[in-house]
Amino acid sequence: MSRHLLFDRIDEPGLNTIGVYERRGGYSAMRKALQMPPEAIIEEIKQSAIRGRGGAGFQMGQKASFLPKGEMAKYLVCNADESEPGTFKDRELMQKSPHTLVEGIIITTYATGIHRAFIYIRGEYQLQADILDQAVAEARSAGYLGENILGSGHSLELVVHRGAGAYICGEETGLLDSLEGKRGNPRLKPPFPAIEGLYAGPTLVNNVETLGTVPTIINMGGAEYAKIGTQGSTGTKLISVSGDVQRPGNYEIELGMPSREIIYGLCGGPRDGRSVKMWFPGGSSSPVLLESDLDLAYDFDTMAKAGSMLGSGAIIVVDDSHTALEVMQKVVKFYAHESCGKCVPCREGTNWTLKMIERIEAGESTPMDLDILASAQSQIIGHCLCVLGDAMAMPVGSIVEKFRDELAEEIEAARERANSLAYATA
Amino acid sequence: MPRPERKLISLTIDGREVQAVEGTMLVDAARAADVEIPYFCYEPKLGAPVGACRMCLVEIEGIPKLQTSCSTPVRDGMVVNTTVERVKEAQNSIVEFLLVNHPLDCPVCDKGGECPLQDITFGWGKGRTRVIEPKRHFVKPLALSPLIAIDRERCILCYRCVRFSQEIAEDWQLIFTERGAHTFVGTHDGHPYVAPFSGNIIELCPVGALTSRPYRFRARPWDVEGSGGVCTLCPSQCNVEFTVRDDKVTRVLARENPGVDDGWLCDKGRFAYQAIHVDERITTPLVRGADGELRPAGWDEALEAAGALAEHRGRAAALIGGQASNEEAFLLARLLREGLGSGDIDSRLGAAGELDLNLMRALAAPALQASVSDLEFAHIVLVLGTEPIDDSPILDLRIRKGVRRNGVKLAIASARPSALDHNAKLAIRFAPGGEAEFLESLEWALGTPGSGETHELAALLRDGGEEVVILWGESLSAPARATLLRIADRLGLAERQGAGLLEVPLGTNARGIREAGALPGAGPGYGEASPGRSAAQIAAAAAAGEIGALHLFQIDPLRELPDRDGWERALAGAKLVVAHAATLTDGLARHADVIFPAESGAEKDGTVVHPDGRLQRLRSAIRRPGEVRAGWQVLADLAKRVGLDTGVLTAGMAFRQLIAAVPFYEGLTLEAIGGRGLRWPETEAAAAMPAPGPLAAAAGASATPAASGPRAEANGHLLAGTYRSIWAASEVEISPALRFAVAEQVVELSPQDADRLGIEDGAAVRVAQNGTRLRGRAAIRSGVPAGTAFLAAGIAEESANALTEPLVEVSKL
Amino acid sequence: MSAIDRRPPVPRYAHGSRVPGWDEAVDLEKPPATVPDPALTPVPDELREAIEAEMAKYPDRRSASIPALHLAQRHHGWCSPEAIAQVACVMRLTPAYLTSVASFYDMFYLEPKAAHEVYVCTNITCSLLGADELYERMCQAAQGHDITVRGFECLGACDIAPMASVDGEYVGPLNLDDASLIVEDIDAGRAVLEHKQLRHRACADPGARSE
Ligand SMILES: Cc1cc2nc3c(=O)[nH]c(=O)nc-3n(C[C@H](O)[C@H](O)[C@H](O)COP(=O)(O)O)c2cc1C
Ligand code: SF4
Ligand code: FES
Repeated sequence: MSRHLLFDRIDEPGLNTIGVYERRGGYSAMRKALQMPPEAIIEEIKQSAIRGRGGAGFQMGQKASFLPKGEMAKYLVCNADESEPGTFKDRELMQKSPHTLVEGIIITTYATGIHRAFIYIRGEYQLQADILDQAVAEARSAGYLGENILGSGHSLELVVHRGAGAYICGEETGLLDSLEGKRGNPRLKPPFPAIEGLYAGPTLVNNVETLGTVPTIINMGGAEYAKIGTQGSTGTKLISVSGDVQRPGNYEIELGMPSREIIYGLCGGPRDGRSVKMWFPGGSSSPVLLESDLDLAYDFDTMAKAGSMLGSGAIIVVDDSHTALEVMQKVVKFYAHESCGKCVPCREGTNWTLKMIERIEAGESTPMDLDILASAQSQIIGHCLCVLGDAMAMPVGSIVEKFRDELAEEIEAARERANSLAYATA
Repeated sequence: MPRPERKLISLTIDGREVQAVEGTMLVDAARAADVEIPYFCYEPKLGAPVGACRMCLVEIEGIPKLQTSCSTPVRDGMVVNTTVERVKEAQNSIVEFLLVNHPLDCPVCDKGGECPLQDITFGWGKGRTRVIEPKRHFVKPLALSPLIAIDRERCILCYRCVRFSQEIAEDWQLIFTERGAHTFVGTHDGHPYVAPFSGNIIELCPVGALTSRPYRFRARPWDVEGSGGVCTLCPSQCNVEFTVRDDKVTRVLARENPGVDDGWLCDKGRFAYQAIHVDERITTPLVRGADGELRPAGWDEALEAAGALAEHRGRAAALIGGQASNEEAFLLARLLREGLGSGDIDSRLGAAGELDLNLMRALAAPALQASVSDLEFAHIVLVLGTEPIDDSPILDLRIRKGVRRNGVKLAIASARPSALDHNAKLAIRFAPGGEAEFLESLEWALGTPGSGETHELAALLRDGGEEVVILWGESLSAPARATLLRIADRLGLAERQGAGLLEVPLGTNARGIREAGALPGAGPGYGEASPGRSAAQIAAAAAAGEIGALHLFQIDPLRELPDRDGWERALAGAKLVVAHAATLTDGLARHADVIFPAESGAEKDGTVVHPDGRLQRLRSAIRRPGEVRAGWQVLADLAKRVGLDTGVLTAGMAFRQLIAAVPFYEGLTLEAIGGRGLRWPETEAAAAMPAPGPLAAAAGASATPAASGPRAEANGHLLAGTYRSIWAASEVEISPALRFAVAEQVVELSPQDADRLGIEDGAAVRVAQNGTRLRGRAAIRSGVPAGTAFLAAGIAEESANALTEPLVEVSKL
Repeated sequence: MSAIDRRPPVPRYAHGSRVPGWDEAVDLEKPPATVPDPALTPVPDELREAIEAEMAKYPDRRSASIPALHLAQRHHGWCSPEAIAQVACVMRLTPAYLTSVASFYDMFYLEPKAAHEVYVCTNITCSLLGADELYERMCQAAQGHDITVRGFECLGACDIAPMASVDGEYVGPLNLDDASLIVEDIDAGRAVLEHKQLRHRACADPGARSE
């Protein structure tokens, strides 16, 4: 049985209001934290060893400690863009327990000496953004935001900023440009946001779930938190499971749970008579795994070792009623559409890959084209300004590699179809 | 402000140890060490690298991923590989990706032969393509502006053009729209990209996506030669390269000189070269016949006719325009003083009034001269009574750069709203003609505590940092100049490196011409000379019949000087008018008796002086068309006709005479001036600059200033100021490509006055004063203070030069 | 005609391009689009105030450009040149700056749109579960109604796949018949498919529900 820290009774009516949230013990972590020296909070977070829940899996405590100390214009940006296909966990948390996030932000800014924070939420999440606005207003009336919070000397302005529909604004530097009112193009790194981020000031960027876990860490203590999960992947994780499973949705699991248990146990597996053909363990950007990988433990390190990644914790299950070409085409179409266009290998690589796939569908390819397709992917990887290009090339590369024979057959079949159509109409 | 320090470090590139200045980008350090790394998007002139094209990827030991060498500053001990297999693969990949959508229409592309994409594809590409997918196709080329064509098929989205618009010119008109592979370069809602510096994007584009409409299909790179020169169309004196084909200038490119232009060029400088080769150009001498008609004539006939100047010995006067070279000014002054026994020569185009030699010397004192680069690194720049974008466009870019990159604090004090207002910490408006009063109150505020914007400015100048540069316009009156000097003194500008004054004169080579001695009562090097009359006095005297002959060297006073009617009478009053001109402007067409064809800036050999004291060389890039002869030669021949043997037989001799005559030029040679110029205030000879005597006591120097601010009369008249648009030039009027830009009378009004007078934006209006009437178009600008109106001067028709009084009546037509 | 010529064509973009604007030259008669002069650009008061309130939230006013474009789009129905000029005037930016920003984001319309919008997610999970047919059906159902239907990338609700966002309200899982019900609800001005709204859905995790 897994533990529930973030999702604990999350459907309780009214939990999105400050009254219910506080009645259930909400904001106690904030009160506790405001009594602690800021360094001690960072220390707790470090000890919890919590890794970022947004995709890259970088340890939060470490990132927070990169920020320069002292008084200056520093910023915290909560990444609530949640646009990775298959991912919808932040949505549920923000909608049902927005104060968890607000509380996490207050604690984190206090610990890092930040006085301005932004929640960058994707524009499509209108309901959730309205709920967050409400929560921020409630927290402000309660004196948890604004000047000198509860007499601690800590001040914080928190603004909910709505995006307008661009996947790349989930990438932290693209997000910063977007938040500065520009096109959401990623920036060159270095400098990293912790050194030079929003408005050129040091900036901490963290995912909703990462920040939302901070109150729990403060309440139970970092060391205690670190006991949950595995050594390299501590804690619980919100996961979004979708696709060909019987009970899709968000689940909170302890990291290290066997993948089969998630897909079959929690989610009921594919419909009867169907089997898992492939699954994306961490959103559509992660290389696909097969049925044979189902017994792997679901944690950061095991997924990486298997040649994929845990990413945002979004599992997409594809059963054997779908073709590999179909899946690949959807993935490619998405990244070609979402490439910001700034750097050449991503812009032209995704766009060329899409055209190659359209040519396959039109019956104008031969299996040899799969070599070009695969090599184009390897030409993208590692050459782009940010990793959006890689995010297409890796899953596509993995599909070509793992389903090569099937793809070759599909290519031949498409050619047959096109030819017979041509003769039929001739 | 401290300028960047240069510390040498060493690193290893491809197994070779090389030296580089710490902090330079790897790609530059490699190039300096003869290792070429290909790139497209990198262009240091555009600011911080964007790392978009990924062409410059290299391997740096210790970093797992390949890094962009355009954005990686060198560090001591760095080990870099640019030719290893994975780098080659990356380069191949990027070239292949770039060509996925590129049309490869090199045979019909203007850029062919000078195209980075072509070169890099050959040098670093695989040489074959695997792309058989259809490319995107568009209608091409399309107009982006009257000057620029865009071919979107060829664009590689390198960001250079949009960065120029956004981060250098800061006009924010040129943008990327859409996203991903759909991204394209465009503007808002089909508006053309028309801005003073738009042409630079043509030069920046590394492919044939942006091409010059006037240059399209005129030449191939192997048909042309480049010839270094200096643009003579405004005092910025930007360094240029003329592209020459068959002895014709077919294109003008920027020639980067950090001390002058930073590698940019305005559209006037870039496109007005067309004026060199148009039918309107005067290419033979013209002499007015007995019937009153101007007719082409032979040189002998024309020199003979102009030789009649000798009959007006002691009653001749000369004016000289800003495009003259130092040598021409020097010879003209000799002709007048030595040959015709007159001191009546002036080169000042503003309403300068009588010359105060001490004031002039004091303002030109070497220690007080700020340089163009000082604008970029100063703590504070004050722009006083000048609008850089019109008066010296390239300085507008330099000031923006200082503010943007180095945090220079900018203040503007002017009558007319400035394009730089938004970049300024403080923008102060005074009434047109109110600069003297304003400066007095500033001087007073420097020593007296108080509040208000003048005090704010005073505080900024006093406490904002030591390096203060004041950029001031030539139209400042003499009393205003005296106050300016006292302010400079009070701020200690002469004592500080990097601080000082920088004058923006009205004419291109105004400074050089003055230094050569073309001033009433001042000889070469601001030396004493026999007394002479100022331009305004010459006009009055000529109108009164006291002056018999007028010698107009590359100037039409009806066009360039205030009081058009006065000059009309003066020209009519003179018995003989001798002119040198490239085109037949109004005044000359009606009044000149002899016109010698003048050289264009691309034809001249000689020197000019930049407003910051930099001597620069003009070299003839093309043969003079038709019968045109060198200006120095015509002047020397003419001098002979009036009995003066100047001893000048070559351009070089004229230069040497000039150097000998101006003490602070001592030791200068053409070689030393070279292609980059040389600032004389920095030389040892500068000490020979004559010291100013005591200045005439200024009235009201320390008294409390009178209240300033616009003073429109109660009868609804408006206080008129003038401006001279960047486009107000005869070269612009006759360049076919620039026809769309020709300056007309645009009357700038405040919304309040427009409302009161019932005038809509763009409406036809009449400006009246004492029987003088001008027609124009109204432009409503929120920044114009109520009670004032600004009128265009220096334009061909309906020019504000006709006005003589400060108040005007504006009404709807 | 040979057989080869009769093959179904590779989906080439109509007229070489799928992006409006790529084939358009500028209008040389227009003046350059600089920062609009307040005296010449009237802005409705409520829009101006709302934009100014957004600008006040950020250390740099430019940060308000996306919120301001949302406001202008709501006010004008789409990001028309006029709407953009008004935002530019209030924010002291060039219209081009805002066009550049607006065209980057999927939710802004630089072409007129209908009063109502339906985004049908056609990304991977939804399409595995039939979103492509749903999208087609939705397009058909909306014909003749004041509704813009768009295929959209993942909207972050794969748990209710296939799904759609109707004027911002998430609904799913949808079947093909829901398309016409959605249109009916929109036309009637009532809540859309209330029983399928995401806002009412319980968390899938049984552990989260237990007391
Ligand atoms: C293309 C791309 C899209 C991303 N989208 C998201 C996202 O939607 N939400 C998110 O939290 N992180 C996203 N990330 C990861 C962020 O860049 C960043 O690593 C993360 O917000 C850091 O927060 P964390 O350390 O708490 O995970 C994305 C990264 C890339 C490269
Ligand atoms: S038009 Fe030229 S300069 Fe501009 S982005 Fe395209 S390739 Fe670069
Ligand atoms: S030159 Fe380095 S990325 Fe373009």
